[in-house]
Amino acid sequence: MKHLFYPKIAWMGMKNNRKLYIPYVLTCVGMIMMFYILAFLTASDVLATMAGGDFVQNMLGLGRGICLLFALIFLFYTNSFLIRRRKKEFGLYNILGMGKWNLARVMLWECLIISGFSFVLGLGSGILFSKLAELAMVNILKNETSFSLSLNPESVLMTLKSFGVVFLLIFLNVLRQIRSSNPIELLHSENAGEKPPKANWFLALIGALCLGFAYFLAVMIEDPVASLLWFFFAVALVIVATYLLFMAGSVTFCRFLQRRKGYYYKTNHFVSVSSMVYRMKRNGAGLASICILSTMVLVMISATASLYVGMEDSIRNRYPRHINVSVNADDPDALEQSGVFALQERAGELAARQGMTMDQETMLNYRSIAFGGYVDGEVLRTKDPNADKPGISLYYADLWQIFFVPIEDYNRMMGQQETLEPGEALIYSTKGTKLEVKELSLEEELTWKIIDQAESFVSNGEDVMSIVPSLFVFVDNFEETAEKAWKLTNDSGNQAVTYKWEYDFDLDGKDEAQIAFQKSLGETADQMNLSQQGIRFSCAGSAENRSYFYGMYGGLFFLGILLGIVFVFAAVLIMYYKQISEGYEDQSRFEIMQKVGMTGRDIKKSINSQVLTVFFLPLLAAGVHLGFAFPFVWRILLMFGLNDQKLLIFVTICCYLIFALFYTLVYRITSGSYYSIVSGKKGR
Amino acid sequence: MSILEVKGVRKVYTTRFGGNKVEALRNVIFSVEQGEYVAVMGESGSGKTTLLNILAALDKPTGGSVILQGNELSKIKESQIAAFRRDNLGFVFQEFNLLDTFTLEDNIYLPLVLAGKKYEEMHGRLEPIAKQLGISQLLKKYPYEVSGGQKQRAAVARALITDPKLVLADEPTGALDSKATDELLRLFGEINLLGQTILMVTHSVKAASHANRVLFIKDGEVYHQIYRGNSSNEELYQKISYTLTMLTTGGDQL
Repeated sequence: MKHLFYPKIAWMGMKNNRKLYIPYVLTCVGMIMMFYILAFLTASDVLATMAGGDFVQNMLGLGRGICLLFALIFLFYTNSFLIRRRKKEFGLYNILGMGKWNLARVMLWECLIISGFSFVLGLGSGILFSKLAELAMVNILKNETSFSLSLNPESVLMTLKSFGVVFLLIFLNVLRQIRSSNPIELLHSENAGEKPPKANWFLALIGALCLGFAYFLAVMIEDPVASLLWFFFAVALVIVATYLLFMAGSVTFCRFLQRRKGYYYKTNHFVSVSSMVYRMKRNGAGLASICILSTMVLVMISATASLYVGMEDSIRNRYPRHINVSVNADDPDALEQSGVFALQERAGELAARQGMTMDQETMLNYRSIAFGGYVDGEVLRTKDPNADKPGISLYYADLWQIFFVPIEDYNRMMGQQETLEPGEALIYSTKGTKLEVKELSLEEELTWKIIDQAESFVSNGEDVMSIVPSLFVFVDNFEETAEKAWKLTNDSGNQAVTYKWEYDFDLDGKDEAQIAFQKSLGETADQMNLSQQGIRFSCAGSAENRSYFYGMYGGLFFLGILLGIVFVFAAVLIMYYKQISEGYEDQSRFEIMQKVGMTGRDIKKSINSQVLTVFFLPLLAAGVHLGFAFPFVWRILLMFGLNDQKLLIFVTICCYLIFALFYTLVYRITSGSYYSIVSGKKGR
Repeated sequence: MSILEVKGVRKVYTTRFGGNKVEALRNVIFSVEQGEYVAVMGESGSGKTTLLNILAALDKPTGGSVILQGNELSKIKESQIAAFRRDNLGFVFQEFNLLDTFTLEDNIYLPLVLAGKKYEEMHGRLEPIAKQLGISQLLKKYPYEVSGGQKQRAAVARALITDPKLVLADEPTGALDSKATDELLRLFGEINLLGQTILMVTHSVKAASHANRVLFIKDGEVYHQIYRGNSSNEELYQKISYTLTMLTTGGDQL
């Protein structure tokens, strides 16, 4: 019997603390399951063979790494919480004659039991759900697969190894905690007098300033490139600010309220405010973590979901029509001389031969002169005007893609009847920018009076792909502009300007037929010997690229959901443990207040309002963060070719509501255990 | 006039599954006059705490009645019981029961704040009490920063600030050293001289020897009582000791 002594003690210890241990084991199970699923998908042959599958698998591999790192940090945190709660018990064992060595053996058994349980359940459910995840993944990528349960021994081994290390580290940490304690301390560790938290105006102020600045950045930076650069800075600021505000700001605010005697000494405020100070001091960090996790989940899911839902739009923006022919030349005359425009007839013939019709209504057919340039006040330059000045501009705020388009092409495609006097032009700028100028000139060569901003123009794949905004200038002197631009190129000696012909049209065939058409059109173009005449021909089809889009956006979406689940898991567990520890803390207060003359109802009301505040503050803050992150997210998604702002707003709000619902549900479930602890002693 | 009348109070605890019944109080009868200082003595398990809980309206008797200034406790509505307790009773506990999240001052204000009093009024009431109890300098401190005796004095201040009809003290000296005990008992004596009615439950002979009257409880009944009469504290101490010896060695009736 003796050899069963330690496992028995370990088992009893966990059984008596099941309120603490069950969620912990569940988290271990969940983390292992997630990790295995990610590992399984990363190694899945089904995914690997799909279009865009390798990209997806790379991302999933990255997600697997994040998941493991997060599991390590988080299980560490949870475990130290468990040990703290049990120190008294250890102290008792110690006094009853168990040495630290014996305690370590008990803890070893505990660790073995927990990890054994977690591995069996985690891998079991992982294997069970991995097929489901694969199916979901394949479905998201719009592919088909057979339904057969498979097991990947390599992934199992990898999970065992990775989490074996995690559990070992946790065990070593437990040993360290046992080693560095003495029995008396262990016995009293829960009753150590708590110093009243001090208001730290300085930190609170810094927190407020950080948050204000980050919000200011989010709202004020309109330039997409700059916002991408500042985004991570703003995120870091918000994280710091959230911690500072939750930890120092909240205490400072409560202290401020306490100093206002008229407010503080009211039945409703008195107990709540003074308890909140302590609550926030104890829980500030945890709540800030919940807040940040929630914000991350929300941003991640709403962004990836928007991308996924708006994918057809994105494809349509990137590839404006089913077949997109784009012809580029460095010489303004090359296009005309090459006879490339004959492709229009060839394409028509080809379509007729393959039994498809081209949609003439939606056809895009326009020429343009394009270059990457700088908007320097009212002058368009091909070179950075600040290049030779000391103190280089770090941000490409004034870098644009500039297109000159003949006004007749604009009128034809947009169905407009704009007429321009000589020397007049219309402009249009993309990515939500608006260039407010009265005049524009091309270096010192040509000047136009800008009579109006066009309301819209057709989507341009190059613009969509680029992170800088584009400026379209619609002119009536297209040929003259081409010549001047050509002169500029010659003067500067480097090729800066491209002459383009864009010819995009829709076809009424299925994806396969379109891909076949696209191929034969490419062959037709090859026969025209265009490249020998200095002309670059490209033909891209939306059908051909659809699966890549699905692979990329679908993969992001899927990863977003998986990591979202992991983060929510963590948030739920933090919340649960907070409730439990709050419960133990409040138990004795509950009793005293009742003896001093507070009714049970009042106490419940007061505690309820405090607990509600504590748990819904992060949700609220996450909502505000999300709101301010919105412009950033919007501008970044613009670069992915998502133009539908309403969709993003809708998806974001939906995500928030679903999340709030889930959060409330979890709160309701966990608060049950809180109340059972608080009122536990009462029925003595 | 009696401020408190306890008439034939009986309390039976039923174990959870309804099997065993434990009679904690059998038939307790006594009354307390206005301005009296009464100590209730008895061994552990004699029913002292049960009695105190019933007097404090924290628990309901199985039979009999408790009348505090004409109000029968069991007739007071559940919703008003807390307010009644707050307005009429002051409590001093062995474990002080100060909230560690409040300063001493706020701890003392607690019952008044619950009663919805204004800060100016509360502050006005606190000053003389704090002065009398010698804690004026400690009001801004937190419970963990002061000694046990100081905590208990703050708890007494909290009990007195509502100007209660009756102060109930449950082993008030139980967690104090002898110096702090002497100090607290002296304060109780002073407060009583000012007209405050006090009922103290204790098993400390020393604490009981400061009262005007000592009740002895045994096996759930008031077994005996001693009046101070003209005795000094020391003489009363002797009498109590003697009575206790008789009680434990089993003299059937004194």
